Amino acid sequence: MTEEYTEEEFKIAKKEMDQLVYESLKDKDVKPNVMFAKTSEILRALKLSKGMIKWARVNSLWPMQFGLACCAIELMGFGSARIDAERKGYLLFRGTPRQADVMVVAGWVTKSAVPEIKRLYEQMTEPRYVVAFGECATCGGPWFESYNIVRGIDQVLPVDVYVAGCPPKPENLFEALMKLQAKISGKIED
Amino acid sequence: MSITRINIGPIHPSTHGVMRLVADIDGDTIERIEPHIGFLHRGVEKLTETRMYMQNPPYMEKLDYLAPMSYDEAYVAAVEQAMGIEVKERAMYIRVILLELQRIASHLFFIGTIGNDLGQMFTLFMWAYMDRDKVLDLLQEATGSRMFYVNMRLGGLISDLPPDFEERALNTLDYIEKRVREYELFIEKNPVFKERMKNIGILTPEKAIDLGVTGPVLRASGVQYDVRKNLPYYVYDKLHFETKILTRGDNFSRYKVRLLEMRESIRLIKTAFKTMPTGDAIGMPVKLRSPPTKNKISIVSREAPKGEVMMYLVADDQKPYRLSIRSPNFINLTAITHLAKGLRMADLFATLGTLDLVMGCVDR
Repeated sequence: MTEEYTEEEFKIAKKEMDQLVYESLKDKDVKPNVMFAKTSEILRALKLSKGMIKWARVNSLWPMQFGLACCAIELMGFGSARIDAERKGYLLFRGTPRQADVMVVAGWVTKSAVPEIKRLYEQMTEPRYVVAFGECATCGGPWFESYNIVRGIDQVLPVDVYVAGCPPKPENLFEALMKLQAKISGKIED
Repeated sequence: MSITRINIGPIHPSTHGVMRLVADIDGDTIERIEPHIGFLHRGVEKLTETRMYMQNPPYMEKLDYLAPMSYDEAYVAAVEQAMGIEVKERAMYIRVILLELQRIASHLFFIGTIGNDLGQMFTLFMWAYMDRDKVLDLLQEATGSRMFYVNMRLGGLISDLPPDFEERALNTLDYIEKRVREYELFIEKNPVFKERMKNIGILTPEKAIDLGVTGPVLRASGVQYDVRKNLPYYVYDKLHFETKILTRGDNFSRYKVRLLEMRESIRLIKTAFKTMPTGDAIGMPVKLRSPPTKNKISIVSREAPKGEVMMYLVADDQKPYRLSIRSPNFINLTAITHLAKGLRMADLFATLGTLDLVMGCVDR
């Protein structure tokens, strides 16, 4: 595709696309991504607008394959036959944080696991979202008085949606991701 | 050849929890492996010392979240022993039925995840999880909760079984029995499964006893040891079931012994329903002040799906003075350092998968 453009035209297209992405994310306080800059030319060829990008983002939320404790079993239930999360575009559990949009923190967060979780979060490409799934990730849950527990993942990462329950049912995660979709598309505020 | 040191984890899809492995590899062959644990440590044993006796069962359930009831029951039995409380006869039968349902659910989860560990993504998992949901529905009907039950009370249970439970349970068990046959065909007619599991990760009986592994891992190595048979509790000595053992001790035997155990559990539940007496099964209500303790020290040994659980309880007036838990997962984990020597990298996860570890129980 690059052959059809001269190098100068390509530069202009890239700059325009970056501007477009920057504007769409300006109010969200995040920087435009490197990945977008590389595909900017293709996007320009397809004449994608701001709304199109948002539409695509809302309807293909890919969670990261990342479980900590008990709630991870219900997270697996979310992907299994009964709930069938794929019909909403959620299910494609990614083994690498670089391909994931949502981090579902399922389980208690210990002090020794915090550096690893932070690192995984930083490896995710922007825009990235965090769902605190279950009591432990929300506030420490039954381990509130323990010496090795971080009382809620929100002390470490910015959380978008909280889900209560010990453990919440897979249906609750479904609802949480629908909330997250509404939040991304701007239907509900923070 | 030069030896390369690589890091696996701490968050890896193959482990049911968070564990880090450091492997020294020579080409594709593992020379040495070192597990690093503690990413889920939250000090359960210490926390129990600050709670009243009957406030603790929810903490016990979060040890092994694939078979919560087995741990809950072991703790409550330790408290019952400390206070000298007799369990009602009907309650014994109901406990056995629910514990065996829990064992089936746990082994179904194993069958589902072993496919993932071998790289056969999600077909087997979808099947097994669907059936596990059916067993969980039964448990939900009997206890009121899907995953964490907290239905054990001193001397009995929180409630009797609901009416028509027997009929529905037997229907589901018939269905599960058919499905178990399907899993057997699915796995054993598949050349890839056989190639990847037979004669890999062999644990000899002598070594298994030296390492102290229990449960299906020990029985797959050909050692006849099952707490339900050797030190029978409740009504296990009155019910008809066999302890299945296999002799080869490889990954395939460890899978197969769990499959056979599921069949035995189904048989056991059916006989338990036939011989179950009528009467009262409700235990004592939860009170902050529990009855006075009679025994200073109580030790309870139970056959959980993963192996032998022991609860060592030193009783104080209203709280445990000290509770020590023998975790089968922790001791089964030690086998991986021995088994991994000489394995190929891809077989490491299959071997780790067949040990069926739950890291919540390892770290405590």
